[in-house]
This record gives sequence, C-alpha cells and structure tokens, in this order.
Amino acid sequence: MSFLLQPEIVRYQCTCGSLKPISRIYFCRHCLKIRCGYCVCHEVSSIRCINQTIFLFGSYLALKLMCGDFVQADSHYCGNCLENLPSAEARLKKNRCAACLDCPSCLNTVSTRSTNVAAQNPDDPSKTVTRKAYYLACGFCRWTSRDAGLPDQTVATGGWPERENVHAARLSSLLEHYKILALRERQEKERKKFIPRRSYLHFSDKFGLTAVMARKRAGLPPLGGVGLKDDAGTIPELNPSEAVEEVDSLPADIYTEPVSLSQVTTLAQRLAQPEFQTELVSDLFPAHKHLMIKRSQRCRSCEHNVSKPEFNPGSIKFKIQLAAYYHVPEIRIVTCEPLQVDKQGELIIKLCNPTQHQTTVHFLPLSSADDDLEETEKETENKIKMEEKDAQKTSQGRDDVSILLPSLSRQMYISEDPRPVNVKLTGEVILPSLPVVLPPRDDAAEYDDSGDTYHFQDDPKVVVWRKANKAAVKMVVIPLHSAVEAGEVLVGFVMKYTYVNTMATLEQKEPQKVDLKVKVYINVGKTVGSCN
Amino acid sequence: MELQDIYYNKAEYVETASGNKVSRQTVLCGSQNIVLSGKVIVQSDAIIRGDLANVRAGRYCIISKHAVIRPPFKKFSKGVAFFPLHMGDHVFVGEHSVVSAAVVGSYVYIGRNCVIGRRCVLKDCCVIEDNTVLPPETVVPSFTRYGGSPGVCNGEVPECMQELMLEYTRNYYQHFLPAK
Repeated sequence: MSFLLQPEIVRYQCTCGSLKPISRIYFCRHCLKIRCGYCVCHEVSSIRCINQTIFLFGSYLALKLMCGDFVQADSHYCGNCLENLPSAEARLKKNRCAACLDCPSCLNTVSTRSTNVAAQNPDDPSKTVTRKAYYLACGFCRWTSRDAGLPDQTVATGGWPERENVHAARLSSLLEHYKILALRERQEKERKKFIPRRSYLHFSDKFGLTAVMARKRAGLPPLGGVGLKDDAGTIPELNPSEAVEEVDSLPADIYTEPVSLSQVTTLAQRLAQPEFQTELVSDLFPAHKHLMIKRSQRCRSCEHNVSKPEFNPGSIKFKIQLAAYYHVPEIRIVTCEPLQVDKQGELIIKLCNPTQHQTTVHFLPLSSADDDLEETEKETENKIKMEEKDAQKTSQGRDDVSILLPSLSRQMYISEDPRPVNVKLTGEVILPSLPVVLPPRDDAAEYDDSGDTYHFQDDPKVVVWRKANKAAVKMVVIPLHSAVEAGEVLVGFVMKYTYVNTMATLEQKEPQKVDLKVKVYINVGKTVGSCN
Repeated sequence: MELQDIYYNKAEYVETASGNKVSRQTVLCGSQNIVLSGKVIVQSDAIIRGDLANVRAGRYCIISKHAVIRPPFKKFSKGVAFFPLHMGDHVFVGEHSVVSAAVVGSYVYIGRNCVIGRRCVLKDCCVIEDNTVLPPETVVPSFTRYGGSPGVCNGEVPECMQELMLEYTRNYYQHFLPAK
C-alpha cells in the first residue's frame, strides 16, 4: 500500500531516469528494462490503425487478426453508465456520454427524478389525468433542471435540449479549413518522398538533348504528379477575424443594482463549461459527462505491450500486465532506529520476491554501478545507432516502402536519452556484503500451517527473519550533516537481482537467468537530536 | 512502509472459526442478516445495520473504528425500501466513514471520514480518498481515485491495485494481534 499511505518512500529509478514507487513502474519482459508512465506509449485510439491495415494487407486473414487485436485495445467508456463507445463515435460525440449529465453547479452527476403531474384530459377538459414527468436533480447541491428553466420531459432518458454555442458556425468553418490544410500538407509530404527519379531529364544534358526536349515539352502539362492528383479539393475561403473598435457599453443597471454574489457563477463552474462561461447561476445548463478511457501501454524501444486491459469497462483483468510489482523484488522499510547525524542507525528493510523463480539479491553502492551501467547503456545506444545507419543505407532509394506502409511509419517511437537523477543523498549506507536468496512466491503458502522450514545459510547479521518469499534485511545508515537542512535522510543503493527470463525467443527457447540492476532510493525519515 | 503490529485486547475481540475478528464494543444490529465471509476484522465502535437489510462482507474486509455500514434505502411513492449491501473481498473502510453503498466491489480502499451516499456503486479496484463525500447514486469506475466534496474523479490508481490491496489487507490481518 506504499502508494496510498506513505507515498514515495522507496523509489526505483526507471530506465528514463525518473524516480517512481514500484506500483507506478513497469517491467518490459522483452528488453528486460524498467519503464514508467513517462517512457511508454499510451494508446487509446486504434480505429485508424485498422483502416490502414485493411489498406495495407488487403488479405482477409491479416485483417481478421489485426482487427481482433486492435479494436479491443481501444475503449472509451462513460464513468457513470459504464457504456463503452468505439473511438470514432466518441470523437463524434466530443468525448462525452450521450446519456449522462453533470450538474453545472457542483459538477457531480445528476440523476433523473420522476413526479406525477396533473394534466388536462384532451378528450374531456373537465377531467384531469396524472402522468409522469421527469426532471434532473443533483443529489449533492439540490440543483434541479427546473432551476435552469428547462421544461420537464415525458421520457425518462434523453431528450434534454442541447445548448448551441453562439460561435458554432465559425468554429466549424475553421475546423473544416484546417482539416483540408492538414490533408494537403500530408499529401505534399508524401509526394516529396515519392518524387525522385521520375523523369530522366537530368540525363538529357549529358547527351545534348536539352533543346530537343524543351521544344517537345512546350505546351504539355508539368511533369510529375500524374498519379498523385490533388484530391484534397480547394481550401475554402476564410475571413480572418477582425478586431472591433467599438465595444458594447455596459448595461445601465450595473451601476445601480447591488451585486449579489450568490447569483454569480464561480470560477470552477465557468471553467467546467469553457464554451459558454455562464455568468448567472440561473443560466447554468447541465453538461454531458466526459468519457473515460482504458488505455494500453507499450514499451517504446521494443514496441511490446507492457499493460493491456480487457475491453469491458467493468473488468479489472488484464490481457497483458507487466507491472514491476510482479517482476522486481519489492523493498519496504520495516523499522529504522532514530537517526542522528554522523551516528550509525540500523535500518531494516523487507524484501519480497514476487516471481515464480528463486532470486538472489545483492546490494551494491550507487557509485560503482554508475560507471558500468552507463557503459552498457552507451554500448547499446551505439549498437542501435549502427543498426539505424545500416537500415538507412539499405533503405535508401526505397522510400516507397514507408509510403506503402503508412501505419508502420506513422507510429514513431521517440526514445530519449536517460536523464540524470537530480537528487542529493543526505545519508550514507553500509550495505550487507552477502547476497540474500529469496525463495519463489507460493500462493498456497498462506494455507500451509506446517510452519516454515528453510535451508538457507543466512548470516544473522544480515537476515533478521524470513517468511515464505520475504526476508528482512539489516543495513546501517549514517545521516550526513546535509540531512538536517534537507529535513530527511535519503539513501541510495543498487539492487542486483537474478531474474529468470521465460520469454521464448528465436535464439533461446530455454528460460534464461540474467542479472539485472536497479537503483533504489529510500527516504529513511527525519533526523532527531541533531543539534548536539 | 511495512505495517506496524496493531495490538488489541484479547478479551474485547471474538474470533470465529473462519477467522473473523469482531470487537464486542460494536453495534451489530440484526446479526442474523450479517454475513462475514472469513478473516474479516470489525473494530471497536463500528456499526453494522443488519436490521435494515442483509449485509455481506467478503474475505479480508477491514472495518475500522467508528465506521458505519448501513444498507441503502430508496424512496418509493409508498414509503421506503432498504436494499442489501454487498461488499467484495479485500475492502478497507477507514475510521469514521459511513458507507451506504449498494455495492462495494473487491479491492476497494475507502479512507477516513468518508461519506458514501446511498445506492452508490463502487466498482472493483478504486480508491476513495480521506474526507470524501460521495453523493447518492454515484458510480465509481474501476482504477479511479475519487476525492473532495462532492467526490469527483481526481486521478487514477496503478494497474497493480488488485495485488496491492490483497497484500495490504492480508498484511493488516497478520499484524492485527492480541496483546500479550
């Protein structure tokens, strides 16, 4: 529960250089690296992918496979009625739910209430009949649709009048304009990739044909662009907005009427509906509820999913779930002796192995690991660069591939260099020199009353106690003088753990044991009695 | 941060065969309508209103001190009717919170001093922050964090919430020990 009760006490360093608690990081099983929300691709909409894959492969099998895979990654849903919409429909509805409405006053969801109203019988005016009428009411602030002057509805759901934006026409014309502009720009870009070597005119100079060619070409349409006609249409004319010299003067009663603040909308209410920004409370209008999304996340370097939820908004299951919590040993503080500057304090941490394989955890100082980590990173970077160069060489003059496969070239995965960690350590830590072996996780251990029997030869100076896949480890913390200023003692070390990679690749079918390193920063707490 | 041991007075708590630990200082009205599925902790001064309708709590639920679990009612043209309250597994209800929801899913964390209005639906894996007031009939979707008054969505919960809550409630139960 580290994320809830004591946030950010133990932080792991992501490959991108940011520090995150273990619940917020992912572990890509394919590149064996830690990823966080900043260095993965977040994906919601994939309808475009489908269209392009249809265009791309044309084959039924591929289409089926791709659709099955892609549609489900995408899910917009309403947080209130939990109905999910395809992304095209969500876009059409401006990412709002068609049925659910928010209270304009307190921004809570409004509910429909029904009342009985007496109405005159159309056949016999002397008699009255009761019929149901529905209105909206907020259960929190007691706002009702009657406050806004909306007439009651005869049907329970929908049918509420929509308020039209005064600038709707102008906005739609602007939108249209820029859509066409964007389309045209994209076409031009694609054409640029396509253009080289269409005509062989540049050879004509060599053979003295220029004059002949020039005579022949006179009167013919310009070269190129035979296959790529302008189908974007003409850009509609757009009047730029003009500043007006004269502004309407304030109404006369603004000087005479006393201001009643209870009648004026608050900033939060106005910002909730930026297109209207109603001034008076009585003019507030319910707004359609924003949709929520389920999104899958993808590793940027290997393009495998690290998290992929199920389509159904009510489901909490995942098709792919590579959270670090399931793969990287978790560290928690159990106890820490009172911290005094320049004095040794005992820190006990709990290690937990979440995997199905035994792991060995080593503790290394930060500085030693810095060098080799950087080296390996540089090496891999160089490798990537070399590969990229090779790829460019081979693909030169074959740009058409990227045009034929727009969906493949469209998704650019931008990989950034890892940023340096900008934290100041305010304590030193004396790490245990011996490694700690953690047995695999066993879900049945909870029901096993036979007691724990271990065959590990633990040094009692290092391992305080063990329980199933957990072990408590002792280390020593010495706060520095800077800890008094900083207000907290921050220590860091490198955790090296063995990870069993069960991913079968072409080269290796057998599970592989690898040693992985992760930098861990622990906020141990405040110093006491530091004055003397 | 690992949980510290919480010690209770052994005379105060009743432990059932299925591992439920219920304080004697609680108000359990209509106890024949209350089902605690096992390893549930009900701490002192909590109130569970089984006399209004059935209350069912799944495994490893923790109902903290001074919490109130009260089945929701609905007004009809002829009086009111109470509906049963179902709580999933691994649910934590903080101190001084009032829960009048229709359904509380599994792996839900409800903070301190919350009011969960009547007929709310809390889906699996959601978090209600401390001091939240959820108006009646609010739906809290999975993997969201609600807070404020009125409670609105103000964040999301990590994908491993299920595992975190499992771990937390199990840990809590293991650290909830009789005083020696």
